[in-house]
Amino acid sequence: MNPFGILIGIVTLLIIGLGFPLVIRGERYFGYWSWVYMMGIGILLVIASLFIQNDWLSVIVGVLGATFVWGSTELKEQAVRAELGWFPFNPNKIQLPFADVIKKWKAPHL
Amino acid sequence: MNTLGLTAALTAFLTIWLGHVAVRKVEAEARDIRIPILTAILLGLLTEYFSLAAVNRQLSTSLGILGVTLLWDAFELHRQEKRVKHGHAPANPNNPRHAKILAEYSSATTLDLLKRDPVGHPVPPDEAPKLIHH
Repeated sequence: MNPFGILIGIVTLLIIGLGFPLVIRGERYFGYWSWVYMMGIGILLVIASLFIQNDWLSVIVGVLGATFVWGSTELKEQAVRAELGWFPFNPNKIQLPFADVIKKWKAPHL
Repeated sequence: MNTLGLTAALTAFLTIWLGHVAVRKVEAEARDIRIPILTAILLGLLTEYFSLAAVNRQLSTSLGILGVTLLWDAFELHRQEKRVKHGHAPANPNNPRHAKILAEYSSATTLDLLKRDPVGHPVPPDEAPKLIHH
């Protein structure tokens, strides 16, 4: 019997749980166009996991990366939820660099 | 190079995506929500058993993650029904269970209010349906 997979599954569930406040707060403070930054951080984390020799740490960093990438695809829908009043709407969002350029791109949604 | 993190990341991303789509479709079509919930729980537990039995660490990791996402999907099926009751997800009038929800909950709707792009300002309830992409 090898409990590694089950334990990783439980850790994954906890990390995915972090994705909910990540999307809610990310959209509230930075706007849905922060998807580029969130996706970028996610991809960098997954790449970084390749260079971590410890299996536990590599998996945690990899799953954290996947959570960021998934979160980036949820931001647009979260912005609509906030506009509908299902979540608090923040009119004074922090403008991240290149926000004006990113706003012209189509935000991903799966 | 340690590909275990990449395996875990790909498994997590793909199973979350698949679960996200499947939960919405299955909840909208199922006449008795208890059947897919029970199925997801059983499949999740079975997958975790295979993860325990797997000697290969890559396979054990993938199965472990797939199993918990199936268990989470069981919970999400329940949450999706609640979203339908609140009008946060569209009801399927052709499904008798949803038709009953539409009759009992004034907040329930057949409209998918999230099927649009953000406009950058709060949207009053009477304007929200006009913005939906058809």
